Amino acid sequence: MNAAMTFGPLRALLSDAGYSFVEPPILHDARIFVELAGEDLRRRLYLTNASDGAELALRPDYTIPVCLAHLANGAANRRADYAYLGPVFRQRGGEVGEFLQAGVESLGRGDRAAADADTLALAIRATEALGLSDLRIRIGDQALFIATLDALGLDGPWRRRLARTFGDTERLKALIGRATNGAKHEGKPDRRAALRQARDLLEASGLATIGSRTAGEIADRVVEKAALAIGIGPRARKVLERFLAIEGTPTQAIRKLRSLSEKEGLDISAAIDRFEKRAEALAKRGIKLSTLSFAADFGRRLDYYTGFVFEIHDAARTDGRQVVGGGRYDRLLAMIGHGKAIPAVGFAIWLDRIGSGQ
Amino acid sequence: MSAPLVLAIPSKGRLQEESRAVFSRAGLEIVQTGNARSYRGTLTGFDDVEIAFLSAPEIAREIGAGAVHAGITGRDQVEESLTDWERRADFTLPLGFGRCDVVVAVPQAWIDVETMEDLDDVAAAFRPNHGRRLTVATKYINLTRRFFAGHGIADYRIVESLGATEGAPATGAADLIVDITTTGATLRDNGLKILGDGLILRSEAHFVTGLVAEWEPGQKLALRAVLKELGVAPAARGKLLSRLE
Repeated sequence: MNAAMTFGPLRALLSDAGYSFVEPPILHDARIFVELAGEDLRRRLYLTNASDGAELALRPDYTIPVCLAHLANGAANRRADYAYLGPVFRQRGGEVGEFLQAGVESLGRGDRAAADADTLALAIRATEALGLSDLRIRIGDQALFIATLDALGLDGPWRRRLARTFGDTERLKALIGRATNGAKHEGKPDRRAALRQARDLLEASGLATIGSRTAGEIADRVVEKAALAIGIGPRARKVLERFLAIEGTPTQAIRKLRSLSEKEGLDISAAIDRFEKRAEALAKRGIKLSTLSFAADFGRRLDYYTGFVFEIHDAARTDGRQVVGGGRYDRLLAMIGHGKAIPAVGFAIWLDRIGSGQ
Repeated sequence: MSAPLVLAIPSKGRLQEESRAVFSRAGLEIVQTGNARSYRGTLTGFDDVEIAFLSAPEIAREIGAGAVHAGITGRDQVEESLTDWERRADFTLPLGFGRCDVVVAVPQAWIDVETMEDLDDVAAAFRPNHGRRLTVATKYINLTRRFFAGHGIADYRIVESLGATEGAPATGAADLIVDITTTGATLRDNGLKILGDGLILRSEAHFVTGLVAEWEPGQKLALRAVLKELGVAPAARGKLLSRLE
């Protein structure tokens, strides 16, 4: 299929919405994808080698290549709205490895609620332009979970473990169970003794410490580990479990979140307000809130996603796979460019899942 | 005569000696055809069996591809080379040699790291502190990915190692390793320690039967006869034969 000759209505829709089509390179240094998305993505990459031995990968998506091009062509924090349509490459046993994706990346918009709403509204219109009508739309918001951890006063290692496990509900529930009473830990932490021991062992084994963990880092974590003995307690467990069970339309979710906040004396109102502001912005753009299903435990386990996430499903598809995935990834540009967080939100349409597999 | 049963045997070293011994104990000899460098052989008393001499990793791959019917190789080789080994290979008979553990080992100086959960904490904090992901040197890429994913660890990167993996942390090639060990002495000598729950796989050499090769009736009969000589019980033979196409 020649991408340039098809999807006219979709291209027109994205252009008319103010997005400029870009075509970043297909071939990239493989390290950037593995560094950002982790080893789990690597097994899905198509890898090749340059004659100098450098490992190269065919792009597995557009988000990272578009952001790289954005950083290469001007100030990181400038406003830019990009659209794309073209092939991406992923190993996916049994399915064709080259397939088309279309989507947008909206960078540098400070009015986050409006930008989130614009993005989801455009994604819905895009699926309609592609002929889908019976949609199932799931939304989530990681910022609500983080706010709940804050309001519970959690910090230290348990909090970090909980925060990074968000999005994997089964594992998160097990972790909450383990965290409740804390871990067994013997002896008092003695940073100086730990530092000496780590330093001696590094020296004795002749290990290279350049770029790897230092004795200081090791000693810090010895001290921090002692904090694992103090659990998060039964109240935090109860609150987190009740929070994660919240689901429904945005309107229902707001009511349930406010009720949880009042009953538990939990100060998460700022995050709920932001969620509500986004819901209002969605309604203003003609989206019936009753058609959206929120789940408090829905998030993406990629560390550059920071808040709003959504998935659009075609009810006619029986395999349960999303036809659109989107969300806010304010940390990505900072992770690539080693700079400050920059607002970013976008979505990708799996064009190969439109009108197939039904 | 119909096509022979192709049995793959390690082409060199201890593994080959031990494999020959397995057959010798059953009163069977593997004879190399042609000269000593030949990669083909026969099994005395079995006209319908052909021996192929291959490296242990090749044996696992060829079984997975259905290019040989069965062979002797390590469980680690099979589980590493074939991501869907359950569908492609049957561990018909453990042979009691080539024992090794595939383990996760970190520098002894990491006195704060005793479990995979500790390692997850270290991996998550590593990137913010060092500007790169934690690296794991290994030649067991698939076993490592599966094991780390099973422990929910995502923040790391594998550095493929082609030999002397245990030296990677000392040279700075990687922060930790996944490798095989028998006594742990080599790891200790290199300043490494095994994590408490870091045992990925307990491996030994097996007689492995390929489930995706084309099995003609004569080849099945030959397999049944070889397994009988090797002491595989009739019920187990019957069960295995019923799985072959």
